[in-house]
Amino acid sequence: MSTATDWRAKSANQTRLAFGQALLELGARDPRTVVVSADTQDLLGIRPFIAAHPERFVEMGIAEQNAIGVAAGLATTGLHPFVCAYAPFITARSMEQVRNDVAYAHQRVVIGAAASGVSLGVAGGTHHALEDIALMRSLPNMTVIIPADVEQAYQATLATQNIDGPVYMRLGGRVDEPTVTAADQPFRLGQASTLRDGNDLAIIACGALVEMAVRASDELRKQGMHVRVINMHTIKPLDRDCILKAAAETRGIVTAEEHHLTGGLGGAVAEVLAESHPTRMKFVGMPDAFAVIGPTPKVRAKYGMSMEGITQACREMLGHR
Amino acid sequence: MTESRHALLKRLGEQAKQIRRNVWRALRAGGSGHAGGSSSAADILAALYFHRLRIRAHEPEWPDRDRFVLSKGHANAALGAVLAMAGFIDDEVLDRFYHFESPFGMHPDIKVDGVEMCTGALGHGLAIAMGVALGARIQKQDFHAFVMIGDGELHEGSNWEAALAAAHYKLSNLTAIIDYNKIAQSGPIAELIEIGPLADKWRAFNWAVKEIDGHDMAQVVDTLDALPLDSGKPTALIAHTVKGKGVSFAENTYLWHSNNVNDDIYAKAIAELGAP
Repeated sequence: MSTATDWRAKSANQTRLAFGQALLELGARDPRTVVVSADTQDLLGIRPFIAAHPERFVEMGIAEQNAIGVAAGLATTGLHPFVCAYAPFITARSMEQVRNDVAYAHQRVVIGAAASGVSLGVAGGTHHALEDIALMRSLPNMTVIIPADVEQAYQATLATQNIDGPVYMRLGGRVDEPTVTAADQPFRLGQASTLRDGNDLAIIACGALVEMAVRASDELRKQGMHVRVINMHTIKPLDRDCILKAAAETRGIVTAEEHHLTGGLGGAVAEVLAESHPTRMKFVGMPDAFAVIGPTPKVRAKYGMSMEGITQACREMLGHR
Repeated sequence: MTESRHALLKRLGEQAKQIRRNVWRALRAGGSGHAGGSSSAADILAALYFHRLRIRAHEPEWPDRDRFVLSKGHANAALGAVLAMAGFIDDEVLDRFYHFESPFGMHPDIKVDGVEMCTGALGHGLAIAMGVALGARIQKQDFHAFVMIGDGELHEGSNWEAALAAAHYKLSNLTAIIDYNKIAQSGPIAELIEIGPLADKWRAFNWAVKEIDGHDMAQVVDTLDALPLDSGKPTALIAHTVKGKGVSFAENTYLWHSNNVNDDIYAKAIAELGAP
């Protein structure tokens, strides 16, 4: 059994590993916990689970469609399957299985999707996942969670125990994800958290961009600009109240995500605001292009998915160019 | 009193015929539907639901039940007929096929009692049934997972992902029944993309394989009673069938994969199937 410090050290500032550590804890808590791998035993750090519960582990090999179908079948027998996979493959390739077997059939399947965004930067466009939020949030019944760091990834994974339906958990890759949320905070599904106060602007961010947004806010504060930072860790169900409050109390909204600007967090926030509180917005994220090859920080920065990019978007919105 | 083998086969044969009558009844209610693949599957469905499957119509979620997944979901008219005859759903539902907000549409819906999964997008059922079989193993339960797959459906590559994994896990509590009626929506399967030699393919994937006449009730029953064929392998039953079986104008033609059914056509079909 992992101890509090144990899981944190083993997660090594990577949400994908925190997911695996949380599975170990869930495996100890609940005999219904079953882990399904698509040749991803190290990617999601599930070897400790496999060692502890070999009878509740199923390796499906490099066959994502099959992994989702099998997980749906397992769920129909009362088990709680967690599918461990690469974000780009488990969404785009297995989309029909996720839609029909999991979402439409309303099965309790949790998809741990590692290596999202451009975290596999050097692998190139075939291995980037920049449309997965759009795909998953378009599905009825689906819950979409994007932890900002290992603390939240661990707690959110534990919290899936209380979600009676499918969950898409978007995780990072082999990239350092600095901690930005408080330790040992129970995950509050659908309730965004405010990490910095401020009424000039609000940045609504998810995933790795949350930590960058916090740094951007701290930087702007030195220059007299007070920018609120909201960690929108749940994309679906979306915290409408938090968004509307931010729109009412500030002069504009900047969204920040590691995803195409089509259909992601920015789109979700815009859908709320356009209907209920038309608000000036700027969007930080991947433009309508396939990303270049390169180390993740450089690829992110090229498209403005960085502290500097977020800062620039805020300054532009406040008229400080 | 134990039913004699002769009486069992006679009863199941009558029930298969009743499934076919109900299929045409549903199709008339809907105005159209998949007569071909629903009729080819009828004898096997009768043997499963009225002989082999360990199920309770009054307790559809019974945890120990055997599971049947109709991967070729377009044969839902036949599944609906069986579920009504077995008492899972009301008989009158069959008269609401395709109707607005009906529980009974072209493809199975898991919300309906007795339906184990939403199917019909082809190539999904084998993976799901494998998950069910693994679920039984993990929870140390002895139920059996059955899946019926269309022959044309085997064009979908996901079947072969599942075939590979099910053999790896030696899932002897999993049986795939291939309704080999040789015809798909556009024509003979051999002219679209050949799937033979089919038994060899499943054997090569390390499954226990048996070819049967899917309309010979004795063969169907004896084979289902003998499962698993191998205690260390999943079973593939290749059931040679006739598309549209039982109604001469619908037999062996892609035109009756799915077609319109009016009162006149319904009357002709029922005349051939005979009175109950």
